[in-house]
Parts: sequence; structure tokens; C-alpha cells
Amino acid sequence: MDLANIPLFSMLRGRLGYLSEREKVISQNVANSDTPGFRPSDLKPFSFASQLKAATSQAGVQAMTQPGHMQAPNAHGNMAGVKPIRAADSETTLDGNGVVLEEEMMKMTDARMNYDAAISFYQKSLGMLRSAIRAPGRG
Amino acid sequence: MADNRNTIGGSTQAIATSALRAQQARMRIIAENLANANSTSKTAGGNPYRRQAPVFLPTPVAGGIGVKMARVAPDSTDFKSDYEPGNPSADAKGYVKLPNVDPLIEALDMRQAQRAYEANLNVIETARAMDMRTLDLLKK
Repeated sequence: MDLANIPLFSMLRGRLGYLSEREKVISQNVANSDTPGFRPSDLKPFSFASQLKAATSQAGVQAMTQPGHMQAPNAHGNMAGVKPIRAADSETTLDGNGVVLEEEMMKMTDARMNYDAAISFYQKSLGMLRSAIRAPGRG
Repeated sequence: MADNRNTIGGSTQAIATSALRAQQARMRIIAENLANANSTSKTAGGNPYRRQAPVFLPTPVAGGIGVKMARVAPDSTDFKSDYEPGNPSADAKGYVKLPNVDPLIEALDMRQAQRAYEANLNVIETARAMDMRTLDLLKK
């Protein structure tokens, strides 16, 4: 039994991985806010549908009941959706730099808030697991 | 910077730190330009101080793309000249070449560098907060 095999946890992990990756891409944009010719990039949005598909297809995989059984390929945890894409820029300076600091700051705050939310979810779910394994009558 | 690559915000912080360094180097060049805004030639009729401009270049840093100041390039705009026959730097006709430094442009550049520096500090702060939030899972 592994936490990553619970769909909710593996989805949250994927979400956290996506958000920290996004934070990295934003930091690249901010770092190059004065580099001539630099075009900012962003990640593809983290879609619930694709994650749900991965999670439900995983649920249908046969369980391993013998040690010799081959492990089914795990659809979670891989960062298939986190390919940087060129973001549409609202303003480009004369030297070809398309980074808008204000936009980057907003994206960063957005990523941070979502990260906090996902961590809280993770914490709550862990709490639920904990209360499930607690011995009855011990509060 | 390679030692903190394994934390979540490690490469983010390394990228932002490279930008902090680059902006600091830029500030140094702006200071040089401003300090020499009135530096004329040592010899009569010679060229005065030429304005320097930083050139930034994207650089791979700890698994991401940071930035560094690749080189310092001289500004090729023409020198201004003033008629000052008594000046030791004046040429035979009495004209003194003055540096091509415009204090207004330097002030604007400085402001921009400061703003970029602050933005990168913000990134570091956020990445750190996200790391700490993850570590908080261990509590309780």
C-alpha cells in the first residue's frame, strides 16, 4: 500500500509538481525581464479532465496479487503536461523582450495560492486517513 | 547553486539569484557611468569617458534558464562637445569633448534595475514560502 496508489493523493502530487514547475518557469521569465530578445513562456494549464482520465484508467488496472505479477505502467507522477509554451505577450519592448513583470507577479501569486490550497487538501486527506487507522474508542 | 537542486524551490531560487547578481552588476555599471558623467580626456583634444552598457544573456542555471551579464559593451553614440578654450582637455579650436552619458537615462536604468531586483527577491520569497509549506506536512 503506497500513498501514491490512492488516486486523490497521486492527483494532488501531480498538481504540486505542476505548480512548482510553473513557479520555475515564472522565475525564468522574471530573471530575464531585461534580456534582449527573450520571449516569456508558461506551462499548459493543468486540466482536471486529463488527470481524471489518468486516474480512472488506473483504477481499472488489475491488482497484483502475486509477487511475480508485472507492474502496470503508472500514469501518474509523470510530467507529460508540463511542457513550456510560448505565452501570448501583451507588450514587447524595442529590444524584443516580451516579459511583463506585473503579469509574472500575478501568475506567481496565483501559483502560490493554488499550491497552498493543494497542500491543505493533502493535509486534510492525511488527517482523514489518520482518523481511519486510529483504534476505536481512543478518540 | 547546484547543492540545493533537490529541493522543490531550489532551481527557482538559483534562477532568481542569478538574476540578482546580473542586476547588481548592472547597478555597478550605472554607478560607473554616473560617476564619470563629467570625465573629460586627460590629453588635449582626446576622447572623454565612453558610456558602458551591460549586455544580458540567458544562461542555464541549475536545471533552468537564468541570466548573466555576458559582457559590457561601449555605447557608440557620439560625444557632445562644448566650446571651452580654457579647459585643459580642449582641442586646438577650443572645443572640449564631453562623455556621452545622459544622467536621465542612467536614472531610468537604475530604476528599472531596482524594480527587476525587487521582482526577483519576490520570486525567492515565494519559492521559499512554498518549500516551507511543504515541510509543514511533517508537523503534527
